[in-house]
Amino acid sequence: MKEIQRVSPVVFKSTPVKTKTRDNWEVVMEYSEEGDGPFLVDLSHRPRFDLQDSNLAAQKPFGIEIPETPGICVLEKGVLANRMNGTQVSLYNLDSDDTAVMPDESGYTDVTESTMCVALIGKNVFSICEKLTALDFMDPQRKAPFLFQGPFSHVPCQIVTLSKEGDISGLVLTCSRGYGRDMIHSILHAGEEFKLTPAGENRFTNWIKEL
Amino acid sequence: MMNRFNHLPTLKVDTTQKIAFIYKGKKHYGVKGDTVATALYANGIRIFARSLKYHRPRGLYSLDGECSNTCMEVDGIPNVRCENTLLEDGMVIKEQNVKGSAENDYMSFLDKLDWLMPAGFYYNVMHKPAKIWPIAMKQIRKAAGLGKISPDYEMPGKFDEVFLNTDVCVIGGGPAGMMAALSSAQKGLRVILMESRPWLGGFFEYRSGQYKDRQALHERALFLANEVAAHENIRSFTSTSAVGTYNNNLVTGFQIGKKEDVFDQRYIEIRAKSVVAAAGCIERPLIFDNNERPGVMQIACALRLAKTYGLLPGKKAVFSIGHDLGLEAALELHDLGLAISCVADIREDGHDPELLKKIEDKKIPLLKGWVATKAHGSKLVNKISLASVDGLVSKSFDCDLVVASAGITPVTGHITVAQGTLKYDNHTGCFLPDQMPEKMHAAGRVLGLNDPLSVEASGTLAGLQAAFDCENCSIQEIGEARKALENLPGPVRGTKLVTAPVKGRKSFICFDEDATIKNIKQAIEKGFDVPELIKRFTATGLGPGQGGIPGHNLPLYVAKYQTLPDVSIRPTNVRPPLVPTLISTYAGVNHKMFKITPMDEMQRKDGGIFRNLGVWQRARYFSNDLTCKKEIENVRSNVGMLDGSTLGKFRIHGSDALKALQRVFVSDMSKVKQGRVKYSAMCNDDGCVIDDGVVVKQGENDYYFTTSSGRAGQTVEWIRYHTRYDGWTFALVNLTDSLGVINLSGPNARKVLEKVVDIDISNEAFGYSEYKEFKIQDTVQTRAMRLGFVGELSYELHVPSSYVKAVWLMLNEAGKEFNIKNFGVEAQNVLRMEKCHIILGQESEQRTNLLDLGLGFLWDRNKTEAKTVGAVALRQAENDQTRLKLVGFKTENNTRAPRDGALVVDEKVRGYICTARDSFSLNEAVGMALVEGELSKIGTRLEIYEDECGDDRIYGKVVKMPFYDPEGTRMKM
Repeated sequence: MKEIQRVSPVVFKSTPVKTKTRDNWEVVMEYSEEGDGPFLVDLSHRPRFDLQDSNLAAQKPFGIEIPETPGICVLEKGVLANRMNGTQVSLYNLDSDDTAVMPDESGYTDVTESTMCVALIGKNVFSICEKLTALDFMDPQRKAPFLFQGPFSHVPCQIVTLSKEGDISGLVLTCSRGYGRDMIHSILHAGEEFKLTPAGENRFTNWIKEL
Repeated sequence: MMNRFNHLPTLKVDTTQKIAFIYKGKKHYGVKGDTVATALYANGIRIFARSLKYHRPRGLYSLDGECSNTCMEVDGIPNVRCENTLLEDGMVIKEQNVKGSAENDYMSFLDKLDWLMPAGFYYNVMHKPAKIWPIAMKQIRKAAGLGKISPDYEMPGKFDEVFLNTDVCVIGGGPAGMMAALSSAQKGLRVILMESRPWLGGFFEYRSGQYKDRQALHERALFLANEVAAHENIRSFTSTSAVGTYNNNLVTGFQIGKKEDVFDQRYIEIRAKSVVAAAGCIERPLIFDNNERPGVMQIACALRLAKTYGLLPGKKAVFSIGHDLGLEAALELHDLGLAISCVADIREDGHDPELLKKIEDKKIPLLKGWVATKAHGSKLVNKISLASVDGLVSKSFDCDLVVASAGITPVTGHITVAQGTLKYDNHTGCFLPDQMPEKMHAAGRVLGLNDPLSVEASGTLAGLQAAFDCENCSIQEIGEARKALENLPGPVRGTKLVTAPVKGRKSFICFDEDATIKNIKQAIEKGFDVPELIKRFTATGLGPGQGGIPGHNLPLYVAKYQTLPDVSIRPTNVRPPLVPTLISTYAGVNHKMFKITPMDEMQRKDGGIFRNLGVWQRARYFSNDLTCKKEIENVRSNVGMLDGSTLGKFRIHGSDALKALQRVFVSDMSKVKQGRVKYSAMCNDDGCVIDDGVVVKQGENDYYFTTSSGRAGQTVEWIRYHTRYDGWTFALVNLTDSLGVINLSGPNARKVLEKVVDIDISNEAFGYSEYKEFKIQDTVQTRAMRLGFVGELSYELHVPSSYVKAVWLMLNEAGKEFNIKNFGVEAQNVLRMEKCHIILGQESEQRTNLLDLGLGFLWDRNKTEAKTVGAVALRQAENDQTRLKLVGFKTENNTRAPRDGALVVDEKVRGYICTARDSFSLNEAVGMALVEGELSKIGTRLEIYEDECGDDRIYGKVVKMPFYDPEGTRMKM
């Protein structure tokens, strides 16, 4: 019996130099010639969940207090909870050491397979973004982490800004899995002038530890 | 090549760096910093192009691209505005709108035939007799338009786009704009500054007059530009023209890239909380005979040629001006070596006394109350006639340069496009902002100001007003800034002269469209008494420069000619783009954003021919045979695999999930049994079918359902909308991309699948219309349905997207011995059509209801408590005999199938063909059509009309549906 391998919606042309198999995903930890950033990291293999409840205040997914206001996010214990609206929250497990299992409670759906997920981190991240979206990431009134649900390269996305601090700026972006090919192409194209390169998961893990 | 000044502090060219270019096949040289226009001028080129209608010679006039005088073909691109385009190495420049050359144009005789072409002549003279018009139209269309381009021309270059957010957007990088930017930025706000020239400085930047305390204006400009550059809150965009202003302070523009930029042009879209309009002024053209003859140019054009580009604009000049800037320019150019025969100033008084004294000291003859009346010279100016403004006395001077300007006029397009209004100001003679759009503020010369300190103070005030809009400034601070402005000189008196005392046959009010004063008179005499009507009748202002040249003069002249008591009429509307640019710039990068399925890669490898279908790219064919004969036959006789991943897929769960399903689906969803598949449909409030799909029950209060590919994006909103007042508890999740769908179809489908799965899939264990969940190789969680959309034994496998490739490869391996093949969307379309299974959108349009399609059996009339969407309308439609009905038909005499969309006709249109194909399974052409009720009876003859078929019709006969396997034994086998 052949080993079954899962396929990410994100494909980079760069050459992987370090990989790791996790839950049948072949996760690239490092690519050759990653450069000095900014970086684009594939996180599509990280578990993501949808939680819907008319009384979200009563829910504590993974022990996290869900923010009350839509658009506000919380990053705790490696889990990012993004309040989407009055009844819905999206949960991203960004902790590479933990394969979070979906709580066996009503209201949860595993949506890992529904979306592609990438992190865009490092310097000039928002200069790249403004070539693709009219969303205002640098609005001084928004404190990271915060969630945008809007078009990015014309595609509806969830975008969570985790840092707006110069060289350690960064965000996590998800959109329908099917858009993976074209979304990656448009981000890399927009980032060409800023020397955006694909990077392995290590780059993201180290970055998020700095936050 | 002309000698250049190289010592002036205001120069923007580097005379040590030569740039080669080709003009009319010959190599010429400009210098770094030159525009195409200044490089040509430096090489002695004076006639750049010919005018649109009369083929009159045209040359440098504004140096800011205010008219089409200097539009040329550059590197194969027509209508390039040469005054605004930086010269690049190797550019190939050609004249346009000429027969022969710009110098000797065979069409120039048209200039003498102007009497044949009065205003609106094409409306009047070429319609009687009517047969003349088609001939005339062809000739007019040949002659009309500037530049030539092939319809399949592909625009070269790199185009980019950027979407910016800011607190304050300042349009105009002159002194007022820079002060506005600085005052807003100093309040901690984010500021974007847009300047159309490649540098900041505006009307300070090229002038040597005193600003304050012996500081020259150009030094002040540099100081402010440095301040702006140093401020971290300000983002400056030079070479950037604002082309549109819209509601909620959306500002659009485009930027011309430098050599080191990654773009040649980029579209810019700015969302600001407040906008400052500080685009300054242009000059109001002086109207006299031959006022556009090469050699006649505006004040700033002549001055900037010298001060910015190091080129003396002529040898011997006459000035005919109406503003102190003209005196200042005369002095500066005189000092640079220009011989000035005379300065004719429209004004009798009101001059700056200091300037007057300097004019006198330098012995430059000054005629007060005089104006140019006619420029002489067949191609270039060689003499100018002047007259007193009342026309009583006249004089002539030989010259090669006429610097002419009636005064200044504010650039107000950004205000009026955003629905601000203008009002004629009797003091300045200008149309000044009256009602400003919300959160937009005017500053600088737009307000009629001229004094440098006043201009700056108005910028400071506007910047603070913008900061107030952003809640970062107090009323008190604004009050102080306003007081400071009020203590400075206000707007200066402007000249009122509209035209020189001439008849106006060759006095041009609009250069782009060759419209003269005489044309305006003709239009008024025909009853077109307001500028908006005159604009359309004479084409005045319809050229690429819009209101640049005629904008101010037209309403003034119309008021004067009709002896109106005041100038209550307004300039004509200008519209975006306020500055013309390339359509490619608007297109931007144009990333193609399509969804692909998890099977995309494998299908492409297998030779799939893809098409864009809605948001998806799907494999439509697997060979160049677009009838898909082999694909179809393989499914009918063997086994094929189809990618059905684009189907909408949803999970609905929670205590009220069933209630929500009951609301939107027409069937009684409480009858959905675990392990069974239920097909149903959704209607809108009109009873029209909007979606169909299958529903399965996964567990208690937990359902999984599919929708059509095209509707998947709207389904969540649709269900939420129709349950919004009920307070029901359910979670609804779009899993469309989460699961790939492999459709395994054909009589050998079971044999292939049983090699891959570990469960019993015999017909007894897994029958038709049943649903199972299992794991493949203990790993891949799979939802499987026995369906029969294509009319054969079929399994629809819903597999997590990341595992689809693995499962696809397993099935391919297992199917090798049966020679399993892909089939695409077109083959599926034919297969299901033979079975008369409908596809919404193909067998329906937006007025088609459930009953029209023969799907009334899906509707459960007894679940009234569910308030099913569309049920009320369906009840009303039940007895309506006038509706179209879906019927099956076969063509007569085994003729070919008509095209989809062909009409069913008799004396009138009676319906249309939904889908029809030559069926390989049935060996005849069959199809489905929506026809009027009386044509729906079995045996009715249908007359089918195709586009451009003439009298040839295709005939068909209504037959029973389905065509293929009517008992359904094959899909239940």
